[in-house]
Amino acid sequence: MTAQTITAAGGAAGGAGPGTGRAALRRNFWRGVWRVLRRKPSRMLGAVIVAGFALMGVFGPMFYPDHLPRDTAALYAPPSWEHPFGTDFEGTDVLALLITGSRYVLLTALVTAVITVVLGAAIGLFAGFRRGRWDTVLMRITDMKLTIPGLPLLLVLSTVWKFTSALEMGLVLGLLGWGGVARAVRSQTLSLRERGFIEAARGLGLSTTHIIGRELLPSMAPFIAMNMLISVTGAVYAQVGLFFLGVLPFDANNWGVMLNLAVFGGGAMSSPAALPYLMAPLLAILLLTLGIVLVVDAMDEIFNPRLREE
Amino acid sequence: MKRLAAVAALLGLAAVTACSGNTGDKSAAGGTGGGGGLYTTIDGNKPGLDVNGPFNPWSPKGNAFAGYNVMKLAWTKNHLTDPNQFYPGIAASWEIAPDNSSITLHLQPNNKWSDGKPVTAEDVKFSIALAYTQGSTAFAITPGAAGAASEVEVVDDKTVKITQDMKNPSVTFVRGVMDSAVVPKHVWESVLPADFWDKLKAARGEGADADKAREEITALAEKVLAFAPPKDVSAGPYTLERMNPGEALLVKNKNFYNAANVGPDQVKLLNYTGNEQIWNYLIAGKLDSAPFTAVPTDVMKRISATPGNGVVKGFSPVALGLAFNQSKKPYDNVHVRRGLAYLINRDEITKIASPEGGTPAVTTTGIHQKPAADWLGDELGKLEPYKLDVAKAEEEFKEAGLKKEGGKWTLPDGKPWKFTINVPAPFSDWVSGAKAITSQLNAAGIDAEVLSVADYPIYLEELAAGKYDVGFWLIALGPAPYNIFQRLYGPSNGWSILGGKVKHAEAGKSGNWMGGPETIEVDGEKINPGELTAQLNTVSGDEQKAIVGKLAKAANQDLPVVQLWDYVNTQFVNTNRFTGFPENESDLLRQPAGVWIQLGMVKKKQ
Repeated sequence: MTAQTITAAGGAAGGAGPGTGRAALRRNFWRGVWRVLRRKPSRMLGAVIVAGFALMGVFGPMFYPDHLPRDTAALYAPPSWEHPFGTDFEGTDVLALLITGSRYVLLTALVTAVITVVLGAAIGLFAGFRRGRWDTVLMRITDMKLTIPGLPLLLVLSTVWKFTSALEMGLVLGLLGWGGVARAVRSQTLSLRERGFIEAARGLGLSTTHIIGRELLPSMAPFIAMNMLISVTGAVYAQVGLFFLGVLPFDANNWGVMLNLAVFGGGAMSSPAALPYLMAPLLAILLLTLGIVLVVDAMDEIFNPRLREE
Repeated sequence: MKRLAAVAALLGLAAVTACSGNTGDKSAAGGTGGGGGLYTTIDGNKPGLDVNGPFNPWSPKGNAFAGYNVMKLAWTKNHLTDPNQFYPGIAASWEIAPDNSSITLHLQPNNKWSDGKPVTAEDVKFSIALAYTQGSTAFAITPGAAGAASEVEVVDDKTVKITQDMKNPSVTFVRGVMDSAVVPKHVWESVLPADFWDKLKAARGEGADADKAREEITALAEKVLAFAPPKDVSAGPYTLERMNPGEALLVKNKNFYNAANVGPDQVKLLNYTGNEQIWNYLIAGKLDSAPFTAVPTDVMKRISATPGNGVVKGFSPVALGLAFNQSKKPYDNVHVRRGLAYLINRDEITKIASPEGGTPAVTTTGIHQKPAADWLGDELGKLEPYKLDVAKAEEEFKEAGLKKEGGKWTLPDGKPWKFTINVPAPFSDWVSGAKAITSQLNAAGIDAEVLSVADYPIYLEELAAGKYDVGFWLIALGPAPYNIFQRLYGPSNGWSILGGKVKHAEAGKSGNWMGGPETIEVDGEKINPGELTAQLNTVSGDEQKAIVGKLAKAANQDLPVVQLWDYVNTQFVNTNRFTGFPENESDLLRQPAGVWIQLGMVKKKQ
């Protein structure tokens, strides 16, 4: 990581640049983003997919009534123009289920990602920068956290906690997921704090808050941002998995519940009737993962000048 | 090309193996007509085979497969109305005292254990002693338990007489006796102390000594459950030869009394953990028969398309009800329950949730519709059928004081009414049924939702703890009428029989989660349904019929549950390799395939 990156990522290294200069840098940054996206159409596609999912989660459910209409004459109907992914066991449009179900899934993923990253980065930065006793204590806590297997713990937790809201689910997944990020951020911090620019900042007598917030954090922003995106996919897998296993309360338009009912109720693995019902949430998860991977690829180049092919 | 060749080679190999298998079968078949062959099926009671499980019929993980290497005294027919009909097992014949006070068993004269020792009355008595440690229905040590045996007497080497404690008799006593597994005394002897029967006698008394004796017997339960005989010594048609996590292989027990008529030389029980695995076995044509399995319509079509596969349907004394916790508002009001019954379209629910394994309930009687016709006769048609009728539902809700505001029903005090159905997540038919009900209710302006819990034991625990307002509940578990109605007016609704007396516990206490009132009015007459249900244990004939009629009417008017669908025992057979399977409606469909085989029905296809 070089000083150049820091400039690109965080705005102004060293802090107090003139306001117009900062605005110009920001403009340049977004121009850079646009350039990077344009270079490979796949990245553009990734951005479109991620934006599409975000829009679907925010606005999608508004297009449907609270209780989705159903047609009991068409149970497990095959895909048609009217029902692009067919219908479910009681004749409800699968696409409608998918769209209305996206809000819970994506909101959980977002909450998880934010908690994972904020907690992980804060603990990692603090432990790495302070070293000594704080580092030891925080890293032992992290180690302990990392030794707790996530899925079994979730299975146990789900017997006492029903996770009816996406926020609760996200909170739990986030609290279970910050360990890896904390460890990685700490090691990055340990390496960065010995670099010249941090030495210089210390020499200038700048405050710890300033050094962590303005010097260290921007250097690690790309790494943290990528982790955030990756934990979005992790959170989607985890919660969809829990619903698929049936350990979480039923919610008809949850993607995991759809998978569960398609396989165990509809026999999607044994006969083709319920296959579209199974494929719809699977495709959605696949597409979301693809979008995130492509965006991560773009981010890599935006933040890492060595990859830039100017 | 290479890949194709490899596939062809593999197929060739498979064909050779198959051929050699067949030759082996033919030679093994010997002279017995229709003998030989490998019969493949699953044991409906053993999802998930455990290689390390003991040969112990009481152990839940035991490698003891009823009908194959585990024999019971006799096999209950589950007749529509008569609980005292059986197919012979260890007992060849029996005499039941007219007042149900005793049963005398005559054992199969030529039956031997697979290690060559004869099956004797002592084995039966010892097995009953083991059953006492587990507290089965007929062999309970709880003082005053209904239908418990008071004496077990070895009359001679092949005859045993079991007497019922007539202080608190039950018509299910004989059934409780017959349902006991029999194990070899010479293998199990070390498990029980020599003075067991003295202890048992003491335990059946009263006072401190009795308490101590009961504790000692209960302490033996763990020892019995954990006991693992070194090898499988079976009095059934098969013994377990070997197993791996995927399958258990059983071979014919040449000492079995009816060995000459047992068709297949070997039985392979495949492992399964969920229904979809069974569907795939069936689609592949691997299973010669499979017990009741919930199947979606389209999968049913695929299964039926496999050559040789056939579907056999029979009666199964099980129905599904939507049960209310009447200690919670507004379900304490009968008009709310009736209104809900009018809003639930049972035909549609059954079509969505259990198209192949259920028929919509004709009405709520608490009895499966097949025996209901026998028990109730013309009365059945006079009961309120609760057909879908929105107008009637609105009338009932209004009568209950519910209000409709902005198209939504609210409680009488104007607070929102949230209707939550609880179901266990692994039962996919229940989940989709509950979802379909909520869809119907939502359309009628009731804010309804489904809440699932991770598994069935937790579900039952939370249900019993009164945590749910509304849940799914299996009812009509016949054939004995007491067993049918105790699902509605038994311990779960407050009534239990202790020391021969019916006691009613308050809602929320002693497992009373249904919380119904102690007396209800039926056609202007006040009745105590729990007491009437308990009486079903002691009366018989017309008197019993009269009580069943009264209780069915009570269930129909009081609606502690709304009967949704009556299960149909849908089973699968494959006639490619074997013949002689039970026909539609045969009572043998309520037995494991091992019983069909041991009775000499199943034969290798010639």
